[in-house]
Amino acid sequence: MRRHISLYGLTFSLPLLIWQLLFFVFPLVFLVALSFWTVRNFRMEPGFDTVNWVTMYGRPVFWQAYGTTLALAAAAAALTSALAFPCAYAIAFKLSPAARRWAIFLMVIPFFTSYLVRVYSWQVFLSDAGIINVMLGWLGLGPFRLLNTVGATMVGYLTLSFPLVVLLQLFSLVFIDRTLIEAAHNMRCGRLRTVFAVVIPSARVGLVIAALFSFILCFGDFVSPIYLGGGDPTTLSILITDTTKSGQQWPRAAVIALTMIATLLVVAFLSVRFAYKGRAQ
Amino acid sequence: MQEPLVSFEGVAKRFGSYTAVQKMDLQIHKGEFLAIMGSSGCGKTTTLRMLAGLEAPSEGIIRLAGRPINDLPSWSRDTPMVWQSLALFPFLNVIENVEFALKMRGIGRAERRRRAEQWLDRMQIAEFASRNIGQLSGGQRQRVALARSLVVEPDILLLDEPLSALDAALKVRMQSVLKNLQRETGITFVYVTHSQSEAFSMADRVVIMSRGKIEQIGTPQEIYRTPRTRFVADFLGSSNIFPGQLQQDRSGRAAIATASGHFLLAEDAAASAMPGQSASLTVLDTRMQIHLQPPADAVNMVEARMIGEEFVGATATIYFETGAGQEIRVQKSHEELADLPLAVGRSFHLSWLPADGHLVPE
Repeated sequence: MRRHISLYGLTFSLPLLIWQLLFFVFPLVFLVALSFWTVRNFRMEPGFDTVNWVTMYGRPVFWQAYGTTLALAAAAAALTSALAFPCAYAIAFKLSPAARRWAIFLMVIPFFTSYLVRVYSWQVFLSDAGIINVMLGWLGLGPFRLLNTVGATMVGYLTLSFPLVVLLQLFSLVFIDRTLIEAAHNMRCGRLRTVFAVVIPSARVGLVIAALFSFILCFGDFVSPIYLGGGDPTTLSILITDTTKSGQQWPRAAVIALTMIATLLVVAFLSVRFAYKGRAQ
Repeated sequence: MQEPLVSFEGVAKRFGSYTAVQKMDLQIHKGEFLAIMGSSGCGKTTTLRMLAGLEAPSEGIIRLAGRPINDLPSWSRDTPMVWQSLALFPFLNVIENVEFALKMRGIGRAERRRRAEQWLDRMQIAEFASRNIGQLSGGQRQRVALARSLVVEPDILLLDEPLSALDAALKVRMQSVLKNLQRETGITFVYVTHSQSEAFSMADRVVIMSRGKIEQIGTPQEIYRTPRTRFVADFLGSSNIFPGQLQQDRSGRAAIATASGHFLLAEDAAASAMPGQSASLTVLDTRMQIHLQPPADAVNMVEARMIGEEFVGATATIYFETGAGQEIRVQKSHEELADLPLAVGRSFHLSWLPADGHLVPE
């Protein structure tokens, strides 16, 4: 009987297990191995040499890109969370259940179109002769340099993660026990104060996870920093493409990629720990 | 007479086409323990929520200490409430929960801590001050919820079925805690419950509601002895109810004709009785006598067959059925029943004094 059940369970979990092995664990192991290979005459040679790690970690450019990427992703996570929260709050608490379903539907629509397409359409808006500058021109202003700026990169990051962050925040807000909010009002806690004293602490886990997702998406994003930010400042994702293009330096790119994975693991671990801090059970 | 602390003047509450509370007039006096009782959907919780400012009345005026509070938002009222779910903040520990209301009032850290500790002490939960809410038992949470509401020393405390989640033994213990607290602090308690035992054991006055209307207001004794409407008599379940028609018997005395027979009424009941009117006679189950042979002096008597018995502690409830199919309950102590040869299926004569019968309008 016992054996029967485990076999039954295995039939369903085995494909996923194989998938994970094939497409996650093996590539990761290969990436680690790759980072110790060497490149001679534009050809990779298997081996065990720490030269790639020493070279990359010894370059100020790498650390500069690392700092930039970390800062940009953190800023994007904070900005997206801050902008998404009023939106998620309104959907969760101000809309009727029917209107809420529509709002959720509208939030899902952006996922139907390619992120690349959405970023290209931002170029149409932000370029020197773009829609925004033309409209500003009517008012006698500009033109301003909007494209190829950090601000434009941020706009791209927002495009990437805003709908997801709103949805994640929304799902944590919807499940807040409404009597907690009433209880706060009942104890002389006004509306705005209740948001900070009760709503945010109650939804903390969801809010932190939403910000974490935004961070993860933006940290690894290549599209916005290159097509909207113009590749300046250089982020780690841009550095990876540059490294692979210049002389087939795949092993060095592997060093960057592994550093990014390690960073995300640490950030994710710390965020989840922070989210659940002080919560027994 | 002293001005009431709270008064509902023609207050109604509608949700769309559904009327939760119909034109209600109710006065709550300072320092009393008032229970609002009724089955679910009777409007008792809506009444409480209107007082707390969590629902706005559709009609009428609610006054607190003489001042209309209809337009006062919840957070500007001093009407702390204890929720059925308790609504303790899971992200705060015990003492932070108790301090919350003081913090919102801008009271300094040291003073806050001192007052919160005082109440934790009073509720005998001081040792749990830094625990998480999730680590407490049901009874301990109850005490935290009470401390959290009482720490601001309000004039009035609203309680919405706070004991319904507790087991029977703990419920009884918390009842005495609540009653003592109310007596010691002199704070007006408005206690909403569907439980007759909770309402009757703690309250000074009980309000019985049904379908958004007040059926009766009175002391537990008054309501128990003389239910004023058929609903109340049914709801309490402690009276036998004989529906019938009022009439005058041959000697000119007021009586009621029911399916189980004609019964004489007490003088005071007779005064308001209009012959021909439909009404119900209620007789408390403890006021009925059981006889094997019909006694010569009995005025109101009915023959009935015993159909069952039930023992709860020192009292027994015997169930009878009259020839007309009416069920009658009689409650007696074991001593009173010692001499009767009780047996299911046997016929007995049940009697009561006219003074023990009360009329309720149909």
